[in-house]
Amino acid sequence: MVPALALTVDGMREVGASAQGGRFIVLFDPNRLIAAIARSGDRAAFAALFDHFAPRVKGLLMRGGAPAELAEEVAQETLLTVWRKAALFDPAKASASTWIATIARNLRIDIARREIRSRLSQVYEILDEEAPEQPDAMLSGAERDARVRAAMTQLSPDQYRVVELAFIEGFSHQDVADRLAIPLGTVKSRLRLALSHLRGRLEDLR
Amino acid sequence: MSIGHRPSDETLTAFAAGQLDEGLALVVACHIEADQESRRRLRELEAVQGALLDAVEPIPMASGPNPPATAARAEPGPAAAVPMSETGMPKVLHPYGLGPWRPIGIRIAMRRVEVPGAGARVFMLRAGPGIALPHHKHTGVEWTTILAGAYEHEYGRYAAGDFDEADTEHDHTPCVDPVEGCTCIVAMTGSVQLQGWLGRLLQPLVRF
Repeated sequence: MVPALALTVDGMREVGASAQGGRFIVLFDPNRLIAAIARSGDRAAFAALFDHFAPRVKGLLMRGGAPAELAEEVAQETLLTVWRKAALFDPAKASASTWIATIARNLRIDIARREIRSRLSQVYEILDEEAPEQPDAMLSGAERDARVRAAMTQLSPDQYRVVELAFIEGFSHQDVADRLAIPLGTVKSRLRLALSHLRGRLEDLR
Repeated sequence: MSIGHRPSDETLTAFAAGQLDEGLALVVACHIEADQESRRRLRELEAVQGALLDAVEPIPMASGPNPPATAARAEPGPAAAVPMSETGMPKVLHPYGLGPWRPIGIRIAMRRVEVPGAGARVFMLRAGPGIALPHHKHTGVEWTTILAGAYEHEYGRYAAGDFDEADTEHDHTPCVDPVEGCTCIVAMTGSVQLQGWLGRLLQPLVRF
């Protein structure tokens, strides 16, 4: 059974914002929206999904240093891909956010490296089809993602910042150290602590 | 297959973020395809990106949602058929062109992997049992995934599926398994100085 992603921090924010606007209260449930698109090409569901995710994909890319124009294009293409591939989304494998983040990553590579006809996004797709075979796969992707999300909120601001730099901006440890003006050893230990904290939260499930 | 050597967190994180040079990424992908544990780690790192996507400050879009009126939506079904290629080759190599095997010495051959736009040079190397691979130094990194057989150097034994992440600090002479030989895929950045007679033979090929 896949729990609806109700009442994540973002869900709460949406509830607050729309209540303030005095219109209606919605629990944002991306899995249900994606299912509605898959089932019947539901354009209202698509609009809701777009309103939530497109500005976040754009924000994530710009946070990583992409120019606004590229970030906008990747965000548009990402949501179009969600529309086209809605029926392929498997909530047992990953949360909607993780699925959409990987689509955005692949499209950023395709679009940024268009002139050289990069094939790297195909490599990610081939790996994505390789199913994990161990019993650990019984830990559903949605459950894993919820754990990771919870663990992320427990990181110290310092740890969160190095994770963000390493993941969003793709900085090497040395780049992160230069950027934050802290020693390389500190970057490595913060990241190691952050990752072991995340893994610790996942170990309980095995 | 028992895998003992895996990419560092730094490398796998950069791979998950889609930030590695395509040549280096391809060699990492060959390892991930062979290793369940690294696939599991990759999924976790992708989940971190999902969480970052949730938490990031949204930036308003310049234009709104616009799904094509008659867009064909994908139906679930068998994954796109991967074109057949040589057996035993990693699937992740399918999108790339491969040059012919060219002998570059006695019982040692090399084939180029064409990765357009990559900063790293990528090639496969096949060496017969017991051969010492050319002793070399380089200014960049040299990442290797073993596809078949094994080799051994001062950091251990590397067998099928293992990933060998060597940087400038390393200065090694891998010795190929005396029974199985070794086939591997290598991505190199920077310039390489090969030493010895085999090195001189290999040099023009590595430089491409």
